Amino acid sequence: MDRLQVCAGVALSMAVLCSSARPDVVARETATGSLTGRVHVVSHPARRLATAGVYPGRIVGIQTDRETSELDNVIVFVNATTRVDSVPQRVSIRQTNEEFVPHVVAVTAGSTVEFPNDDLIFHNVFSLSRVATFDLGRYPRNASKARTFTKPGVVKVFCHLHSHMSAIVRVFPHPYFAVPDRNGRFTIPDVPVGRVEITAWHERAGEVTRSASVEDGSAAELTFSLPLTDPE
Amino acid sequence: MSGIATARSPRLVVKVLCFAFGVIACVIVAVFVLFSVQTNARVTRSVVENMEASQLRFAGLDARLRREHTLQAMALAENPTLKAAVDTYYSERGNEHELGQLRSTIETELTKLQQIMAVPALSVTDVRGTVLASAGPQKGDWPAGARVTLHVEEDGSPVETVVMRNHHAYAATAVPLVLGRDVVGEFFLASPLDDAYAMSLAEEARADIAILLDGRVIATSTSATLRHSLEGVALPLSGTLMLGGDEFVVQRLSSVDSANVYALGSVTEAARAAGSDTGWVLLFTGAGALLIAVIGSWWLARTVARPIDRLSNSLAQMAKARDFDKPLPPTGGSRELDTLTATFNELRTAVSLAEAESEATYLGVIGALATALDARDPYTAGHSQRVADLSVSIGRQMQLSEADLETLRLGALLHDIGKIGVSDAVLRKPTKLTADEFEQIKLHPTLGARILKPLRFLDAQLAIVELHHERPDGRGYPHGLKGDEIPMFARIVHVADAFDAMTSARAYRGALPVTAAISELWRLIGIDFDAQVVQAMAALPVALTEPGSSEEPATERPSMGGLVPFPSRSVAAGQHPQLALRRAE
Repeated sequence: MDRLQVCAGVALSMAVLCSSARPDVVARETATGSLTGRVHVVSHPARRLATAGVYPGRIVGIQTDRETSELDNVIVFVNATTRVDSVPQRVSIRQTNEEFVPHVVAVTAGSTVEFPNDDLIFHNVFSLSRVATFDLGRYPRNASKARTFTKPGVVKVFCHLHSHMSAIVRVFPHPYFAVPDRNGRFTIPDVPVGRVEITAWHERAGEVTRSASVEDGSAAELTFSLPLTDPE
Repeated sequence: MSGIATARSPRLVVKVLCFAFGVIACVIVAVFVLFSVQTNARVTRSVVENMEASQLRFAGLDARLRREHTLQAMALAENPTLKAAVDTYYSERGNEHELGQLRSTIETELTKLQQIMAVPALSVTDVRGTVLASAGPQKGDWPAGARVTLHVEEDGSPVETVVMRNHHAYAATAVPLVLGRDVVGEFFLASPLDDAYAMSLAEEARADIAILLDGRVIATSTSATLRHSLEGVALPLSGTLMLGGDEFVVQRLSSVDSANVYALGSVTEAARAAGSDTGWVLLFTGAGALLIAVIGSWWLARTVARPIDRLSNSLAQMAKARDFDKPLPPTGGSRELDTLTATFNELRTAVSLAEAESEATYLGVIGALATALDARDPYTAGHSQRVADLSVSIGRQMQLSEADLETLRLGALLHDIGKIGVSDAVLRKPTKLTADEFEQIKLHPTLGARILKPLRFLDAQLAIVELHHERPDGRGYPHGLKGDEIPMFARIVHVADAFDAMTSARAYRGALPVTAAISELWRLIGIDFDAQVVQAMAALPVALTEPGSSEEPATERPSMGGLVPFPSRSVAAGQHPQLALRRAE
């Protein structure tokens, strides 16, 4: 079972950068810093099948050579529940080749996620998650439906027509989060100074939380290691 | 049937019956034994074949069932709600209320599926094997929170595993719930390996079923006793073994994980069933054969014994009557018996011929003796022969049978045989005898009887010889018998003797004429002579009364007829006896 693990290693270096601006964020005069780091996924904590599904080849048109990385499914965020208002975002999770792309998105509360259907077949979007239980119904190619997420939390999204499809919308009460790039690097700018908890989260690998001091105008490099143990 | 034969040896019927019965019983027993042995072999073979056929049939069925099971499980595991709920379950960790809701979502979904599939138990676990929710009649064995270890192949293909829950064994087919490339949980169908399942298999396999897990019996379709005797027995893949005293053919039908399904066929029971059918047939056949044998041998014995009985009866009668003259009638029973009868008859003829011959020899000797006796005295020469002839004539006149006449003739011929013991001096004395000498003479009848006594074939003549001097008035000798006490033959011979004596010359007198002699006879009726005999004598044609008539022709004395013209006519009627006598004188 644990053979399905995909190596994940996280090295997180964190830089606290002074005043690296994010213009759309508050115009407040509070001192902020940046958090930078690097995520390296060396292992996948949960089981993963060698083949794509129970019925090999059943999923037609799947793009098996699509470049994916577990890093795409990692979110690094400041672990804070205080609501920090920000401009609502509008992001897309496309339904392409019977997959939700991207698999994981992080948005601020009040943001809207669109689910355009790129496939020739009908798709559906629904969720059983507490913070946003919804069902957008079925719709064809080129149609799109959207959902606005107001409550922070993890929203797991599925397609009723294609049971292997899933996506995650993580809603934060604040804008202090980032998704690492292909190298595992990320930057969270304009984090208010002070002592913060920073968490690197993966949907099944779980999460690792570290403390860091955000100092005004400076960038703190933190080395993070995503836990490779089974989440409990 | 002769009682003597029964006492000595068993009767023919019994013997034949015993033999037939014995042979048939032996044949039946042999047939039965052969049949039993063959039945057993045949039954064993058929049970083994049945098992093998079961195994083949079952293997195909089992494979198809399992594949169907697997496909079912795989299809069911694609349920998006289940997947969504299980996947969401992870992200809601820490929120008990939400988790409870998700569990009931899963359970509701499972219940729906269970109602469609009618599976004993459906269950979903997370990736670590903790049961999230279950449905189905057996869900009590699969409560939420229970840990289950299930075998799952790396590529996600389903595997059937035997799982013990609450001391119940289940065959569980587990399928991973896959989301993208991730396994979010396990979905499985479980069906109990219980007696009901064993019985349903037994119906399919048409044999008794035992399911063993690691050598332990977990379910059977058989009786409790057989189940008990299966405990701790190492069952072979296929073969025969003894269980609880019965012979069984064992065949492993399939195995699930460490559980093995065996088919059991009782050879003993099958043999008993087959045997009881054929046993009845044999019993009836045997009984029928025995009955036919009994009837047949009884009939045979009767057919053989009856004529034998008839034959022996005839022989017995013949022996009893001492009548060996008549030939035995053929029994008609069989050629052998007829041959036997014919042979016996030949033998009888030969024997009677020999007997007659020896009798004739005897008689010849005796006759010669009598003749010799007569020849001692010239006066009595031919006397015995004449007396014999006359006696026969009288007897014939009295209408005696030929046999009696023969007796009479022989007795008359030998009547004076006792005179052998009388000395010549007395016998040939020309003068009057003294009283002493006369006493000597009087001994001769007794003497004659004594001489003849050893000759059994002269028994009938004995009385003639002994009593031919008895007189009706009782003054005769040797016993002084009277009237009817004297046998008729003796009376006849007495008359003939006297007549011949009177009509023969003696040394001391001349011969009396026939008529005179007859008159004398008439005169002495009731005194010396028997009336009936004298009457018969008188009725005789003259020629026959003539001394030496047998040798000489009657024409030599024609006058006699004139003198005594058929005195029988008057005498026989008893009309003028005196006249006849006077005339004679």
